[in-house]
This record gives sequence, C-alpha cells and structure tokens, in this order.
Amino acid sequence: MLNVADVHSYYGRAHILQGVSFALPAGAVMVLLGRNGAGKSTTMKTLIGIVRPAQGRIEFAGADIAGWDTHRIARAGLGYVPEERRIFTDLTVMENLEVGRQPARDNRPPWTPDRLFALFPNLGRMRNRTGGRMSGGEQQMLAIARTLMGNPRLLLLDEPSEGLAPVIVEEMANAILALKQEGVTVFLAEQNPHFAARVADRATVIEQGRIVWTGTMAALQADEAARSAYLAV
Amino acid sequence: MTVLAVAGLVKSFGGVQAVNGVSFSVAAGEMLALIGPNGAGKSTCFNMLNGQIKPDSGRIALNGRNIAGLSPNRVWRLGVGRTFQIAATFASMTVRENVQVALLAHRRHIWRFWRPAAAWFVPEADALLTQVGMRDQAERAASVLAYGDLKRLELAIALANAPRLLLMDEPTAGMAPAERTALMQLTRSLASRQGLAVLFTEHDMDVVFGVATRIVVLNRGELIAEGDGPTIRADPRVRAVYLGSGVTSGGHRC
Amino acid sequence: MGFILVQFLTGLASASSLFLVAAGLTVIFGVTRVVNFAHGSLYMLGAYLGWTILSALPRDPAWFALGVVLTGAGVAAIGMTIETTLLRRIYKAPELLQLLATFGVVLIVQDVVLKVWGPDDLTLPRPRWMRAFVTIADQRVPVYDLLTIAIGPLMLLGLWLLFTRTRWGTLVRAATQDREMVAALGVDQRRLFTAVFALGAGLAGIGGALALPDGSANGQMDLTVITDAFVVVVVGGLGSLPGAFLASLTIALLQAFGIVLFPKITLVLVFIVMAVVLVLRPNGLLGRPLAAARGDANTPALVRAAVPALRWLGAAVLLLAALAPLFAGPFALSVLTEMAIAMLFAASLHAMMGPGGMVSFGHAAWFGLGAYGAAFAVKGLALSMPAALIIAPAGAALAALLFGGFVVRLSGVYLAMLTLAFAQIVWAIMFQAVSVTGGDNGILGVWPAAWATDPRTYYWLTLAICTAGVLLLRRILYAPFGYALRAARDSETRAAAIGLNAAWLRLAALVMAGAAAGLAGGLTAFAKGSVFPGYVSIGRSVDALLMVLLGGVQSMAGPVAGALVYTGLFDILLMVTDLWRLVLGLSIVALVLIFPQGIAGTVHRLWLRGREA
Repeated sequence: MLNVADVHSYYGRAHILQGVSFALPAGAVMVLLGRNGAGKSTTMKTLIGIVRPAQGRIEFAGADIAGWDTHRIARAGLGYVPEERRIFTDLTVMENLEVGRQPARDNRPPWTPDRLFALFPNLGRMRNRTGGRMSGGEQQMLAIARTLMGNPRLLLLDEPSEGLAPVIVEEMANAILALKQEGVTVFLAEQNPHFAARVADRATVIEQGRIVWTGTMAALQADEAARSAYLAV
Repeated sequence: MTVLAVAGLVKSFGGVQAVNGVSFSVAAGEMLALIGPNGAGKSTCFNMLNGQIKPDSGRIALNGRNIAGLSPNRVWRLGVGRTFQIAATFASMTVRENVQVALLAHRRHIWRFWRPAAAWFVPEADALLTQVGMRDQAERAASVLAYGDLKRLELAIALANAPRLLLMDEPTAGMAPAERTALMQLTRSLASRQGLAVLFTEHDMDVVFGVATRIVVLNRGELIAEGDGPTIRADPRVRAVYLGSGVTSGGHRC
Repeated sequence: MGFILVQFLTGLASASSLFLVAAGLTVIFGVTRVVNFAHGSLYMLGAYLGWTILSALPRDPAWFALGVVLTGAGVAAIGMTIETTLLRRIYKAPELLQLLATFGVVLIVQDVVLKVWGPDDLTLPRPRWMRAFVTIADQRVPVYDLLTIAIGPLMLLGLWLLFTRTRWGTLVRAATQDREMVAALGVDQRRLFTAVFALGAGLAGIGGALALPDGSANGQMDLTVITDAFVVVVVGGLGSLPGAFLASLTIALLQAFGIVLFPKITLVLVFIVMAVVLVLRPNGLLGRPLAAARGDANTPALVRAAVPALRWLGAAVLLLAALAPLFAGPFALSVLTEMAIAMLFAASLHAMMGPGGMVSFGHAAWFGLGAYGAAFAVKGLALSMPAALIIAPAGAALAALLFGGFVVRLSGVYLAMLTLAFAQIVWAIMFQAVSVTGGDNGILGVWPAAWATDPRTYYWLTLAICTAGVLLLRRILYAPFGYALRAARDSETRAAAIGLNAAWLRLAALVMAGAAAGLAGGLTAFAKGSVFPGYVSIGRSVDALLMVLLGGVQSMAGPVAGALVYTGLFDILLMVTDLWRLVLGLSIVALVLIFPQGIAGTVHRLWLRGREA
C-alpha cells in the first residue's frame, strides 16, 4: 500500500527526517511510535505533502508521490487527520463533511454522511451544529469522518487520542477497529501506549528522524527491551 | 496548610451553567488533579482561579485572602503561577531572557528604560533554569526548542515569582510518555521541596494516578467525586462518565 | 420631506456602489488574509476599462449591461494575473510583506493608467435612458440611481447564496479558516484562491464601470476608493459580507445627510464613524475576533543586538554623513537632511510596529502634529527654535497619550485603521481650520534660529538629534521596558500570567513613538521653512510604512536601512524618470519577492547561514 524509502525532510532549516524507510501492507493498522520531536508529525505531514521531502521515494498506490501537491496526494487516496483536529469551526457538521467529499474509488461503496453517522452516532445527533460548539471528542470524530468522506485508501491519523477523556479514547479505538473491519488501511502516530496496543497490529518506531524498529505489535510486546524503550509508561 | 480554598464557585455563559457550585482545597506540597470529560468545566474553573474569567459567585481564597474576580496580573502578584495547555513563551527571546522578563516583572522592574534587560538577574534566571534542567540551553532561542523543553521553560517562567500555588492546564499534552512522567516527577519534587501547592488538569491516567496526591472529578460543571487514586478508580460514576472500561488508559488496576 | 427622500435615495445609491467594492475587498481578505491595498486600483481599472468598452458599444441599456459585465470580466482577468504572478508567491510571507507588495501594485497601476489613458478625466456621454427621471413625492429621481440602489441588495443576496448554498462557497468558507486542511482534503486551494481573487476583482471592476455615468474615470479614484472601502470593511467587521453591507448603508447615508447638515465635516465623517464604531466594537459591527493565521511566517524571530561588523558599518556611514557637508552641494545637503529625518521617523514607527506589535496606517498624525506644533511655537508664541523642538515631540506625545487609550485595546488591521482615522481627523483639522493653520496654504516662514540658518549647521544639528533619537529608542527597546513590550506582543496570555499589563506597555510605546515622530516633524518644519496639511496625509503615513517594511521589522537596523534606501531611491527616481511610480512599484514588488524578510532581515539571515540554528 505504502512504501517509503530514504525520505529526508526539513522544517525550516532543521533536518527532521533523516532517511525514513518503512513499508505498510494493505489492510494493516500500523502505529508510529516515538518521542516528542523524533519526527512523527513531520512523517505524517511529509506523506500528505504539507512538508515537501527534500529527498527520497514515497510509493503509494503505484506512483511516487514525493513532491506532489497536497491536494493531488489526497485525491490519490491518502486521507489525513491532523493533530489538533482542525475542524472548520464556522461550518456545520454537514458542511464539514461536504468539504471532505471526493468521488468513490476502487468500486467500493462511497462513504456517505449516513454511513458515517452509523460509525459515530454522536455526530448524527448534531448535523447542523457548528464545529466550534462541539467538545474535543466530538471534534475528533468529525475530523475522522470528514477525511473518510474522501474515500481514502489509507488513513493517516496524527495523535487521535490526544487531549481526550479516557472514555472517548475508548470509543475512538472501537471506531478504528471498525474501520479496519471495513478494510481501510490505517497509519497512526500515537503517544498513548495503551491505545496503540489496543488498535494496532503493526508498529514502527522513529528516533531522531530515523526508523529504529519495525514489526508486528505482538513482536514489540514480546521484545522486552523494545517494549520498555518504546511503550514504557 | 491550606494554600487554596475554593467554595461554591459558579459561572454560566449565556444561560449554560459551565461551573455549578464547585468546592475543593489544595494544601502546600500537594498535587491535586482536576479531571473530567471534555467540556466538563475544567478550563472554566482554571480560568477563574487564574483571573481570566470572573466567577458569577463563590469564593477563591489564596492563603485566606479572597482573590475571586481579580485580574490575572494581580493574581500573579499574589503568588499564583500558571502553565498553559499549549506552552506560552516568548518566541523572540532566548531561554534565559524568557525567565529574566518574568523576574523583572516579579521584582517590578519593568518600567526601566536604560540598563539593558540582558544584564538583570542572570544568576537568578540561571538558578531557575537549573531547577528545571534547562541551564545548558539558556542561550538558545525559545522558538527552536523541542516541545518537551519548551514545557520545562514554561515551568521555570511560572516559578519566577516564587508562587505558593501553581496551576497547570494539561501540562503533558503533546509529550511522549517518558517525558510526561519526567516533567510531572520534576514538578512533584519541586512542590514537596518548596511547599508549593499544585493544581493540574490532565487526560493521561498514567500521569494522574502516578503523581496526584488527590483527585477531584468534574462532570457537567459539578464535582462528582473526590479522593485518592484507588477511591476514584473504584467510583462507578467516574467510570461511567470518564474512565470507561480502561482498555485504552492502562486498566483499572490499583 | 421631498428633500429628505432625495438625499435618502442618493445615499442608498452610493451605498450600493460602496458595497460592490467593499464586498470584493472583504471576500479577498476573508479567504486569503491579504490586506489588498490594490483593490482601489482594480476599481480604477474598472472605470478606465469600462470607459473604453462602453464608449465603443451602442448606447442602449442592454449594451450598457453587457459592457459592464465585460468590464467585470476584464478586471477579474487582471486580478487573476496579479494573484498568480505575485500574491501566490507570498501567501506564506509575513502579512505585512503582502501589504507592501500590494502597495507596489498600486504604484504600478497608477503609471500604467496614466500611460494608457492619459492624464485627463474621462467621462461617458449619458444617453437618454440614463438621463430619465421618475417622480417620487414631487421629486425627480434619476432612474439610474434606482438601478444602482437595486444592485447592492441583489449582489448581497447573490453572494450570500453563492457562499452558503454551493459546494464552492462551502469550500471557500472552509479555506477562510484553514487553507492547509482544505488542501489535505483534496481541494486545489490555489485555484480556489485565484477564483476568489478574480471574483473580488471583478466586483471592483463592475463597481468602477457603474460609477462612470455619475462621475468620471480619473487618476485619483484608486486611493479615494480604497480608503472608503477599507473603512466600510473595517466598520462592518473584516470578512463579513452582511457587515460590509450594513456599514455601506450607514456610511453612505450619514454622508448623504452630513454633506447638507455639516458641510465642513464631510471630509472626515467616515473616519469619525469608524473611530466611534471601533471604540465601541473593537471587531467592527458584525466581525468576530480573528484567529491567528496558521503558519510559521508570523512567528517572531529571535531579536539580538547587531553583530560587530554591522555596528562598524553603521559607524562608518555615520562618519561619512558627518563629513558630507564638506563636499556636498546644497541639493545633496537637503536630501541628506531629509534622510536623517526619515531615519528617525521610520525608527519611531518601527518601535510601535516591531516590538510593540501595533501596525499604524496613520503615523503621519504624530509627524504632522510635531511639525504644526513647532510652527505654532515660533510663529504664534514667538518661541525660539530649541523651545519649538521641545514642544514638537511633547505635543505629539500628549496627543498620543490622549488618543492611545482607544488604540491599544484593538489589534491588527482594526488598530491600524483606527490610527488612520485619527490621522485623517488631524489632517482635516489642519486643512479646514484656516484661521489657525492657514488651511491648504499652510504656515510659512518657519525658519531656524539665526545660528542655524546655514544649511550645513542645520544639517549637522538634524543629524545629531536624529542619530541620538534613534540610539535612544534602541536603548529603550533593549531595556526591561522594551523586553516587556515584546513579551506582550509574543504571547499576550503569558505576559498577563506574569503580571504584565499589555495595555499600559503599548500605550507607553505609542507615546514614545509619537514623541519621536513629532520630533521628526518639528525638524522637517524648520528644514523646509513651512508646514502644510500634506505632512499629515495618507501618503506620508504610507512612506513611513514602506520604509519600515522595506528595511524589515525584525531588527533595529531595519528601519534605518529602509529609510535611507527609500528616501535615496525616491529622490534619484524623481530626477531620472517621470515614470517614477512604475519603477518604484516594480522595485517594491521585486524586493518583496527577493527579500521576503526585508533588507535587514535578509542580510541577517545570510549572515547567520551555517552559523547557528
């Protein structure tokens, strides 16, 4: 699904990604772990094209998307849910979803507001509420639903559990597992090890701009050294 | 010794009760966690303590003196330090200068127009930076710091007025698990050493149950539970509205 | 009764044309966050292009409508060109640089229009249908006015439907909030921005064409219209279409009646309205507080004292300047005097704009008050020149203190527009209080004291005072006060949380800047021997803004470099070409594209490259 090879990215003059390489198989839920400032967010932003990689290949759905414009990457089927959610607070739930709408792809049934409201029942009860009048948890669900309206092949989630109450984080985890059932591939950056362990079947760890560990979640939890280094509390 | 005593705090916005008769207290050296669902009124509570919002009614006593309704800068002068959910520092200054400005404000030296600011309170600023482990980055621009370091700088700024009470709004938001524990352990040791009362909000249950001496839980503007970690974990109402089953927050083990 | 009706209808008609321009401006600002000073130029292009097109078409109403639409399309195309070639490249630059670039476009368009259509006012012959009247309550009301009246609300309705009922409108409103996110959802935001800019430009173009039958196409309309349009947009609340409509109505009606009731006040009526609205509602009638634009461009850079090499360069320039009278002729000497004063004037604006974070569109107010203060002192009070040079900054500082209380509560464009309002009110007083100020003729014979009549002596005096003034400002900005001021700019929440009172700090900075600008004004009065209302004009304020922006707001060296380059460039251009606006405009645009951090900022960056992150 996604094949990243030796990607370098700069943020201003700071060399953040220093040769990131990993592969993500279709249908997987993979978590990107790492310290703050290790390059998790920059990896996500580089994949969607908000940060342009200085070097390297990003193969996605049969094309090298490195250097493409963000909107073109999104149309190729990469969905991005940013940190801090970035809901359009002046727009209603329905309008937020409309902004995300893109044509169906791969002969799969397209996501519609009704299907999304089945996944996130809370949203269905506030169709005409503006984003600014929703709680953090509701905004996070809307952010994911909005991106799903683009019928992405791969969903990037940057810290989806950040700043949310535990009971909401749990709902979020259930929603991601439901998406996995639907066959959506998910790549998420996460700081909450419990959440990561619950939803992910694969993990990759970034440190100082380089990938230092990749494997299945089971392998990570079995590897005592890696587990205490990357999943420790 | 009680540093902060809040009694019957009430605030509503356009008919919606954001905070409805909340009372609690924090003692010197204590770490009190304020938790609750998103939108439960935690931020409103915080902003009233800090002076950014005026309460409709209720009493906020700092060392016995009512500070309800005072402006943020008055509250600060009376010994309340604060860190923000998104670290607020001065981007156009170096790490040391950030602390120097706070010290200059604390000592009422702001209205001076001649001697360069860089020459004031260098040893004091460096001492504060040493406390939070930022001494070796004193010359760097605040705008280029890693987020965890920025949070520590913010802590140093908040400590510049030798506060009696420290308010921390989601202090570990955006940090990796290891950094979270480190920052809160640091805060805890400062609190017990200096007799500082700390009140913080937080969504990371590992941090809450790991460092808080006591926990109060808000829901829809009302206080629904208060107690130590095990008591809160066992409370069925808290589980229902906030903690959930615990599968994504470290379980309900005690 | 009938008279009131006619004035009312006239007011409604001008409200409509005002709304057309303001709507485009507010839509462009809302989406791109670019404060488009060139919007008045697009209106002017609409008038000229409309004249060309309509003169060539048959005179029937249908052809007239077609001509107006064609003009709108033409100006939309011009707008599209401006957006794709210039603005698109600087969306990520600091907001002030975008402002500077649109100033450049204003200058370019002025000369282009002059070259293409000539200096004369162009009027359109009015065919019979346009001269028709209907009789309402015994009064003859022009049909064309009624037509114009209808266009405003229709346009509001159309735009409202476009923005709330279509997918395109939803995308535009989303992009207004977060363009990066819109792109991440698969929308080509660059095309969206171009389309919005074209729409706004088209509306301005239509506005310009529709104004032709009642007026003319002339070379001054760009600045007149941009000021009015800005006032409307700010009074209504930035980015708010209904707000712009409401503000157009309010202002146009007040003007229609004001011109009859208080003829003297009409020059400043709009500014008085704006000042009152902003004092009562800091975000305009229907506006909301603006969220900070996302992006790193507006993150303030680390402020450090100049590196030794730059200090040596400064000292060398100063030495050269001190020796200049030994070999410079009288003209060169007067240019040098002007440069020294410009340096202090620019540094004073920088103090409030850079560390203070308050952009001013009306800095000439303090300059003019200083100049008039000095003139009154010597002519009215028969005081000596040194006394006058103390009164000049003191008077300006006092005015800044009285007025500053209103200003420091606002922020961003609102604050800038309130300073402009104040400057315009001062200008109107100087222009209209003829018995005291001499009106348009100014006050003449403001000559230096006997010991300083020699231009060389006066130059040395000016150089010494201005250099000392700039160094003093610098000293203050590096002192605790300057740091506290900068702290309040960098993070208002943090500043409040450490006990800083941002309002008092900003007020002090405004007073300080006012005093320094007043001193510059006083020195100018003696250098020229006279004062005129022009000293308080928008053009003078724009000069100061250009100097600071060219130099860069990030460092103290910026305004000094900007003042020297701008004054020098300007005087040389005046000498060598009559197309000086075109050349200056192109230079500004080129400078913005090449040096997005300003001159000093770019030099600083190059200096730091490879040294320290």
